[in-house]
Amino acid sequence: MLDPKDLQRSSYHLNRRRLLAGLGATAVGGSLTGAASAETMHHSVADAPVANAASQLDSVPHLGLHQAGVVNGRPANGMVASFDVLASNADELEALFRTLTERIAFLTVGGSVPMLDPKLPPADSGLLGPIVRPDNLTITVSLGASLFDDRPWLAPLKPRHLQRMMRFPNDALDADICHGDLSLQICANTQDTTIHALRDIIKASSRQMILKWKQEGNVPVITPGPDGRAESARNFLGFRDGSANPDSSDVAEMDRVVWVGADEGEPAWAVGGSYQAVRIIRNFVERWDRTPFGEQERIMGRTKMTGAPLDRRQGSEFDVPDYAGDPEGKATPMDAHIRLANERDEASKAHIILRRPFNYSNGVTQSGQLDQGLLFICYQANLERGFITVQQKLNGEPLEEYIKPVGGGFFYTLPGIRDASDYLGSSLIAAARGA
Amino acid sequence: MRMSGLVGASALAFILSSGAFAQEASLDLVEPIAEYKIYVSEKLAKLVEDTTAFTDAVKAGEVDKAKELFAPTRLSYEAIEPIAELFSDLDASIDSRADDYEKAEADPEFPGFHRIEYGLWEKNSTEGLAPVADKLLADVKELEGRIASLTFPPEKVVGGAAVLMEEVAATKISGEEDRYSHTDLWDFRGNFDGARKIVDLVRPLIADKEADFLKTVDANFETVDTTLAKYKDGEGYVTYDKLTDDDRKVLAAAVNTLAEDLSTLRGKLGLD
Repeated sequence: MLDPKDLQRSSYHLNRRRLLAGLGATAVGGSLTGAASAETMHHSVADAPVANAASQLDSVPHLGLHQAGVVNGRPANGMVASFDVLASNADELEALFRTLTERIAFLTVGGSVPMLDPKLPPADSGLLGPIVRPDNLTITVSLGASLFDDRPWLAPLKPRHLQRMMRFPNDALDADICHGDLSLQICANTQDTTIHALRDIIKASSRQMILKWKQEGNVPVITPGPDGRAESARNFLGFRDGSANPDSSDVAEMDRVVWVGADEGEPAWAVGGSYQAVRIIRNFVERWDRTPFGEQERIMGRTKMTGAPLDRRQGSEFDVPDYAGDPEGKATPMDAHIRLANERDEASKAHIILRRPFNYSNGVTQSGQLDQGLLFICYQANLERGFITVQQKLNGEPLEEYIKPVGGGFFYTLPGIRDASDYLGSSLIAAARGA
Repeated sequence: MRMSGLVGASALAFILSSGAFAQEASLDLVEPIAEYKIYVSEKLAKLVEDTTAFTDAVKAGEVDKAKELFAPTRLSYEAIEPIAELFSDLDASIDSRADDYEKAEADPEFPGFHRIEYGLWEKNSTEGLAPVADKLLADVKELEGRIASLTFPPEKVVGGAAVLMEEVAATKISGEEDRYSHTDLWDFRGNFDGARKIVDLVRPLIADKEADFLKTVDANFETVDTTLAKYKDGEGYVTYDKLTDDDRKVLAAAVNTLAEDLSTLRGKLGLD
């Protein structure tokens, strides 16, 4: 008898075989468009990537109402790269969007790399060899407020809540890793694939935009439990992160929480997009590791070992804490991170965001401490009601002693590329031309 | 309760909400905490006095005098930082650094000691610093007022010893704290004195059980003292750039070890 897990695995392998067949058939021609996309085994964005399940042939469709890389489960590697855009009119901006669309179509589907005259530089960095495999790659394009603010012909089309990321009280923002006209969120099973994609895009768009900053990260790969459900990945504080995320496979919920609809007072071109908040949050890990275990749990509001809420320590991370039954914060302190961020009452439902973070480990600070932390990324249909409100609730939390937001930015994730004849941002360009 | 006449309200609240072990420890802590509160008030009185003289010099345009007073004035603040930091708004306006602001030194929001330090050393001038000085003095007085009415949480007091070492380990050993004046060794002195004071106050409570622990901690404080002593200059210290690489490594290792060891002090005293 097949259990659901086996079924899932066999359909996964079936897709994998179809992909392999597609790859063989088109290896000379270039594109892998005919191949079906591998069914993702992830249940939701918060789940960790599943051990041994990732394949170079995994692919996420790049066409659709919404861009890929938002409600899809996280692969093991993620990166945000921010650029300054040169475009000074709608034609130039369209050219950039078309370049990005073309590169995204190739990189996320895969295919063979064109061979040029060896007297010329190669067309491709060659990081992935002569045949580029999709490797679960998604490239998500979002626009910063400065792109609109600095261009009078675009300014009237700025999404309502898009703004330059403000300084929150615990921030120590480093101008070198903040803001930008355009962000790329690049995610894939392996780091080579994200780096290959970034280098490909930089090469293809050198006249149109310049790299400002980037931050890479990853999430641990986890073996699913007996019920097939993968637990949330741990962050560099050692706690499960994302337990309270909304279910990203619930289309109606994503329409409510993540995607901008027609009734939110946003410009018509923006429907189907989302607000992206990126924060580079350094963790003082040495100090955290020297903090009493009980205090760590009280600061976060979860048990460290399983992620269960503090009022049901024997439960699981997916149990919902009962704050109404703990009005004085005896089980979960009133200023615990998860309690401040989400009170779990009717009013707090308006502020739910979809978090899609990666851990980062950069190097060593001037003081000889580890430069590690969280590349926090979240999506929401309303930036004010989402990230900004939640962060304001967190201002002054005890966790602040151990974390320092140093970079990031606010961006607007463009609606999807609808079909092969469409290009990214076409609705914005049409609106800019007054068409 | 019979003991309520003896113990402060905070200790009592703590006892009521804690287990038996903590209860015993907490009673023992009443005296050290009361003594620590006196230590902090003395430091705060000194801080207000010194900051008044310092900001007066800044406002009078006396650059040299202000430079002379800068490091000694900070000494008392650095010694009580774990308590001062309980008020994060005041800590930010008194002691934040240019890195905390996106436009760094040019940021109009950059306040406090280090904003004045920047003007004095980088510009050799007090121009435009009068409002910053007024605000600094007002903040320091506000801090004194708030701490006077603060109930000292025992775990914050005892944990403060480690917090002081964490401060040095995370952002001071690099010399980035007083980057314009290079008076970092004065700050170190304040931080170490503050940490040692806390250890000394609770010492009698663990002297028997934790003799080896105390010996290690004392040895590391000794290492710090011996190293700092080499750089003594009059009442204070030479500039941070005079510190040799070898001595910086010795200090860094001592600080990291003290941070590790002192992070267990709360637990050893039964504090949650």
